[in-house]
Amino acid sequence: MRDFLTLCGYEADELAAELPRISKAFSKLGINSDDIARGKQRLVAYYDMTLKGVQKLFNFFLRDLVNLTLSREEGKEKLIYGCMAPSFDIIGSMLATNSHDVYVAEPNPVFLVVFGCIFDKIVPILEAAESRWLKGGVVGHCAMVKTRLGLYVLDLIPKPDLLVTSGSLCDASPKTNDLLEEFYGIPTYCYDTSHDGQLQDHPGSARAVNLLTHGIRGLTRKLGEMVGLAISDDMLWEILRVKVVLDTALARLYGIIQGSDPLVITPSHENLFMWVKQLPLDLEGLQRMIAAVNILSDELQERVDHGIGVVEKGAPRILAILPPNHADPRLEYLANEIGLAIVATDVGEASPVPGSATEAPDDPYLAMSLFLQSSLYSHLGERLSLILGACRRLKIDGVLDHYHVGCRSVAGDAFIIRDTVQKELGIPVLLLEWENFDPRVYNHEKYKTRLEVFKSMVKEAR
Amino acid sequence: MDEESLTVHLGNRPAVLRRAKANGTKIVGYLPGNYVPEELIYASGAVPVCLIDGPNPRRADNARSVLPHIICPFARTQVEEMSLKENPYYSLLDMVIAPITCQHLKKVAEVWEHYGEVEVFKLGIPHRYDGDFEKDYFLDRLVALKDTLEALTGNRVTDEKISHSIELYNKMRDLFRDISLMRSKVSSIPTAMDFITLNHASFQADPAFMVEFLVHLLDTLKNSPNSSKGSRGPRLLLTGPNLARGDYGILKSVERTRGEIVLEEFCEGIRYYWHRIQNTGDSLSSLASGYLRDKVPCAFMRSSARKRLDFILKLIKDFNVSGVIWYELLCCETYDQESYFFEQKLKEHNIPMLIVESNYDVSSLGQLETRLEAFIEVIEGGPENA
Repeated sequence: MRDFLTLCGYEADELAAELPRISKAFSKLGINSDDIARGKQRLVAYYDMTLKGVQKLFNFFLRDLVNLTLSREEGKEKLIYGCMAPSFDIIGSMLATNSHDVYVAEPNPVFLVVFGCIFDKIVPILEAAESRWLKGGVVGHCAMVKTRLGLYVLDLIPKPDLLVTSGSLCDASPKTNDLLEEFYGIPTYCYDTSHDGQLQDHPGSARAVNLLTHGIRGLTRKLGEMVGLAISDDMLWEILRVKVVLDTALARLYGIIQGSDPLVITPSHENLFMWVKQLPLDLEGLQRMIAAVNILSDELQERVDHGIGVVEKGAPRILAILPPNHADPRLEYLANEIGLAIVATDVGEASPVPGSATEAPDDPYLAMSLFLQSSLYSHLGERLSLILGACRRLKIDGVLDHYHVGCRSVAGDAFIIRDTVQKELGIPVLLLEWENFDPRVYNHEKYKTRLEVFKSMVKEAR
Repeated sequence: MDEESLTVHLGNRPAVLRRAKANGTKIVGYLPGNYVPEELIYASGAVPVCLIDGPNPRRADNARSVLPHIICPFARTQVEEMSLKENPYYSLLDMVIAPITCQHLKKVAEVWEHYGEVEVFKLGIPHRYDGDFEKDYFLDRLVALKDTLEALTGNRVTDEKISHSIELYNKMRDLFRDISLMRSKVSSIPTAMDFITLNHASFQADPAFMVEFLVHLLDTLKNSPNSSKGSRGPRLLLTGPNLARGDYGILKSVERTRGEIVLEEFCEGIRYYWHRIQNTGDSLSSLASGYLRDKVPCAFMRSSARKRLDFILKLIKDFNVSGVIWYELLCCETYDQESYFFEQKLKEHNIPMLIVESNYDVSSLGQLETRLEAFIEVIEGGPENA
């Protein structure tokens, strides 16, 4: 256990203090010595655990898992969870900073990273959900919402006092919450926008933003009443200012990775970068996160300076549509092994930086709505424009579109993205029908063959 | 005016629309779901046509070059119909109104927009439907729609025109309701097939003609010697997200059993007739209220499950229903989630429910009939493992 925790960024003095809590939490969650042994193996196999920055990033997820599991019994009076709720992290961080009786969490990424990527124990959670209203099979329910439901079915996390989601991307998440309220008595809140932007409304429509900010304001009002806190714009700006620093740090990290040749870190780490900034930590936690990202950036820069990489120099540069499988690092690791340099994803790259100083609106709620301009939340026309722009900017040789069937919105774009990229840029596109949160889709031989063929096509096209 | 007159009307309809279009009349299509106020289209002098055609497995499959299988077969059929333009209703369109309801139909709108096959007006439907802010959002979009229709047709859409239009469509809703309510009594006239095909006809026929036809039909049904006949077997409610024109396999399969569908409740494909649009005051505001929040919401709307269940339970009681068939298209994620909720809750009321999924594949109908027979047996108190 100690070796494992050290690998996950716990310092020696922290271990002494935290080990009893960690052991208690692991026991409640059913994490045993076999799991820990497997976890160590997977971490070393699929991630670069020699990098201090990577260890520290994993540490955030482990800590949050323990804190979440023990939150009720350790005296937190109110538990508030978010899932698939963009900008909830900002509100959550604000609450965590201003009220110590409240525990705010995003359980899904925590379990996907720890139970999924590290311990390979996510499947029982998915199966638990499938025994209820998110059945398996052709209907293709998203395993992100399955994870959420499965956690309650298996009683792995304490029930919250409020469960927040957004319909900004899909209807499955709000519907799941609707039924969680019916069957488990969990109060829920959903904020929405409307995707009725016409092509000429790029980069986004004011009315969609207004609808969204209306919903987010409703959320802060509700949360304020729940926790007895008068939530002010200043409280939100305090977090937004730190988030800008975090986003700037992440932008530096992404810049190093994207500019590196040879590619400096395996793309399986993208999962960590994407999720870690979603964790609703208090100000002190956010500062530690910024420090961790900067440590990693410094380590990677040193590698770049010494020409150290994880694929050969001159490897084909690939843009991935959608992030890696959030519960399974194998595909991105395989792509790396084959010699493809996945330098960016459309989610990370083809998006404005929320809350960035260059786009600072006066209203914090407007700042929190900037995610609508990102690839994932844009309508098809905008999304194509963002993806083509990213390909040109990053000098991409090929596109890997592993389209998540659980998300009708993004899956529906897959064929058109392929045709448009091929037509406009003349570069190959590999389409992989995929499930972004379910490790059961992975088929090593099939993907190896397809990626190898894709690599040949990309090299030939260059 | 008899059934043949409706058949003749519908048979002639494409040619009539072609002539009207040649004379400058605009043809405006809209996707189903009962969120697009036809009244507004009609008031503008354009001809409203609901794009409700399906199933055609070949069409749905052909659309897989554009949309993956995870998009529902109805949505894929719409994409292919618009691409092929062999269907006269799709080839005549000057504009399509796409309500942004579920992710599948949203994707249809985006695909049409991308390929530029038809001008698309996306009508945003706030999925939180009960707040004043959301109603104002929808009203704002209806104002924009009105402006767009005025620009398209060159006609001013006045309050008076909208009011007359509301009156006409309210009359249609009243007639459908009165006809439907006949089935709440012991008789099953009209049959489910008849009622559903009438509904589908109303989406493509001239509305004034349709109202006149329904008036005569109601009169005929009331005086029909068969109107006091009893049901032949268990009374069933058919419900789900979408029942497209031509998607009648389930109806024919039930007809071959002892069961009888006495009522249907669908988001898309059945005109919502359980309320009237208020026709006093601000007509656009009345349309916004009537179409967004004064009706039972579809499953993709927020916090809709309980409201929908309460409505279905009332229908079950009013129509003396003893079993529910939940008919959903494959990959419809919100309705599939709700099917579990409904099944569990209806069980508490001793109402058995059968879930049927369709990909418009006719080869599965044989298996369906076996399942239906077993379901009927369960309702009649037979073997429990249906």
